[in-house]
Amino acid sequence: MLGLEAISAHNGWAMALTGTIIVMGGLSILAFIISQLHKIIGLFEKKKKAPPRFGPAAADIDALKDLETAARIYRPLTAELGERFLLADLYRLFEKENLPHPHLTISALRDADYLVPLGEGLFNWKKPD
Amino acid sequence: MELFVEFLKNTGYYLADIRYILMICVGILFCFLATAKKYEPLLLLPIGFGIIIGNIPFFRGFGLGIYENNSVLHYLYFGVTSGVYPSIVFLGLGAMTDFSSMLARPKLMLLGAAAQMGIYFTLLSAMALGFAPKEAASVAIIGGADGPTSIFLTAKLAPHLIGPIAIAAYSYMALIPIIQPPIMRFLTSRKERLIRMPDTERLISRKELLCFPIVGVILCCFLAPASIPLLGPFFFGNFMKESRVVDRLAKTASTAVIDTATIFLGFTVGASTQADVFLTVKSLGIFLLGAVAFSIATASGVLFAKIMNIFLKEKINPLLGAAGVSAVPGSAREVHLVGLKEDPGNYLLMHAMACNASGVIGSAICAGVLWSFMMR
Repeated sequence: MLGLEAISAHNGWAMALTGTIIVMGGLSILAFIISQLHKIIGLFEKKKKAPPRFGPAAADIDALKDLETAARIYRPLTAELGERFLLADLYRLFEKENLPHPHLTISALRDADYLVPLGEGLFNWKKPD
Repeated sequence: MELFVEFLKNTGYYLADIRYILMICVGILFCFLATAKKYEPLLLLPIGFGIIIGNIPFFRGFGLGIYENNSVLHYLYFGVTSGVYPSIVFLGLGAMTDFSSMLARPKLMLLGAAAQMGIYFTLLSAMALGFAPKEAASVAIIGGADGPTSIFLTAKLAPHLIGPIAIAAYSYMALIPIIQPPIMRFLTSRKERLIRMPDTERLISRKELLCFPIVGVILCCFLAPASIPLLGPFFFGNFMKESRVVDRLAKTASTAVIDTATIFLGFTVGASTQADVFLTVKSLGIFLLGAVAFSIATASGVLFAKIMNIFLKEKINPLLGAAGVSAVPGSAREVHLVGLKEDPGNYLLMHAMACNASGVIGSAICAGVLWSFMMR
């Protein structure tokens, strides 16, 4: 059997249509869920939001003028991220703690080698001298 | 003298015929493409050498050939026929995949789904050409442009076609730089190819990266349970990577484990192309349909991106649709290069990787769906 007759006999049209709907539908739902994922995670985080732990000491220093002090004070912040962390996570943490100009600070810490690249996007703090 | 003549009659030189010579030439060509042209060397080199080994003629009954019980090659080939190697490859792939670009651009996932249309188009074409339904499904999955997925589904549905289907799938993956760009250029205008993607996507937190494999495995595997052998290890590998508490395991999965599986997968698939079982009219049909499947998959991704642009305020570059096939990272790289040719400042790679990652998930779902259809 060949041609359209073979497709109909083997239920090909229904398989193709159903398969298309399943894969399109499945990935669309997954896309929708992951687009909302950060909001869902945000809801959980709001509930347990604690007051900033590093208060004035961390927030008041001008990290760009005194990188060494900044590195010393900020280092404990990353304890919850583990020894190796992504800069994106560090940025988020800085923002959460209301530290001044987080992007510039991280960039400066990186340029001054206080943040040491480990490859694959991970960093850790320079070991104290 | 008689013993010497008997010995000569049992050598490969005596037993060889034109079919074996032809296949050995194909094996040498694959090795040449892998080493000299660097076309997908990780795949073509083991497959090419496997083809050479598999087509050395021998007398039957000695337990030498890949299709003879108790031969060493037969035991190694068990990993293919049972679907073990593809699962292991998916574990390693998961441990290597960074989903952050996809999580930052979820709408691009739809292009990964659209590119799977090549699979269903080929399913219908193969049925129309007289392939049995299970064979047609195995041929169709070539359109997913995912070697391990093709091998996995074929092992389950039409094990006698593993050789030609695997060779076709991997050959077309290696030929991405030749197949995809003309289709991309044909289906898009220069103005469309110049579209720049926004660079303002949000940063993805570690928690999102951690949650995604769990959400993904639950959603996809509940939808198509037959895709568990592929997507289960895939998301597990990714979870190990993102958890950062089992770095050793994640690193092993993404290096030693996947490399070992790739070696044996490629080598035994190559060795399974014995001339007497491989050189058939059906194999020729599979190669033709594979090319159609791959081209349609590329075209449907590009066309779907153009359709999306009708409704989107912020247009997406339709070239990205071609990266919806799951040939990682070959098709993403090709999209990037075609984009760069038009505008040297247009960097599409990270966006294309998002489509690529969703293409891997999409083709595994398709494999699960087709498998469950055919089991009825």
